[in-house]
Amino acid sequence: MNNHPYLRAYLAGVFIPTLIFPVLITLLLVSELVAPEPIPVERIMIFPLAFAPVAWGLWNVFWVALRKFSNVPLGLHGAILPLLLMPMGTVLAKCLGIITLGAHSVTWFQAVEIPYWQIGCSFAFGLVMYYLVWKYIIGFVNRVLGIA
Amino acid sequence: MNAQDENRIKQLLKQTLPPVADGAEPERDLWPAVLRRLDADPPRHAVPWFDWALISGLALFAISFPATIPVFLYYM
Repeated sequence: MNNHPYLRAYLAGVFIPTLIFPVLITLLLVSELVAPEPIPVERIMIFPLAFAPVAWGLWNVFWVALRKFSNVPLGLHGAILPLLLMPMGTVLAKCLGIITLGAHSVTWFQAVEIPYWQIGCSFAFGLVMYYLVWKYIIGFVNRVLGIA
Repeated sequence: MNAQDENRIKQLLKQTLPPVADGAEPERDLWPAVLRRLDADPPRHAVPWFDWALISGLALFAISFPATIPVFLYYM
């Protein structure tokens, strides 16, 4: 199991986004049935399908490569990822018309309205979620694949 | 140390250490158990209390603001 550690690290990294994606798509398709306005599912799919898995995989590869020089805890390393992913995803969402910025709130997917104050809290909780997912789930997959 | 002292030490050692029976062996072979322990998974570390606190906080936030769940999923 000492061969191709970066390939195994990439596969371990994409584990969570590939599990989450079907859940998100199912939620969106169900929401489309009940939403008063059509939800742009095809445009929403671009970021979770094309960007997030690659980013997660490469981030885990980066962690494996980084271990030669420093001993950064995996949870902390994972908690840094949303600082890159969230602005990227938001800019893409804005360009694709997935979010609409209002005076007091942001409308996601033309269906979910989130006030600005809640977005700040969501960002903090996003960091926490990434920390936990990377520490426990990606850490477990890394151990199973013989990386950590 | 003269011969008398050596004999005295031998005698004391024989008195102190009980004789081992000829061909005495453990009741069962202990080596497989040692190998099993070596091959066993490393001990699992307990989840620290602050991680439990973070998990609880996250769950509470998701319950309080369920509209944010699809947005969280979008970024994963």
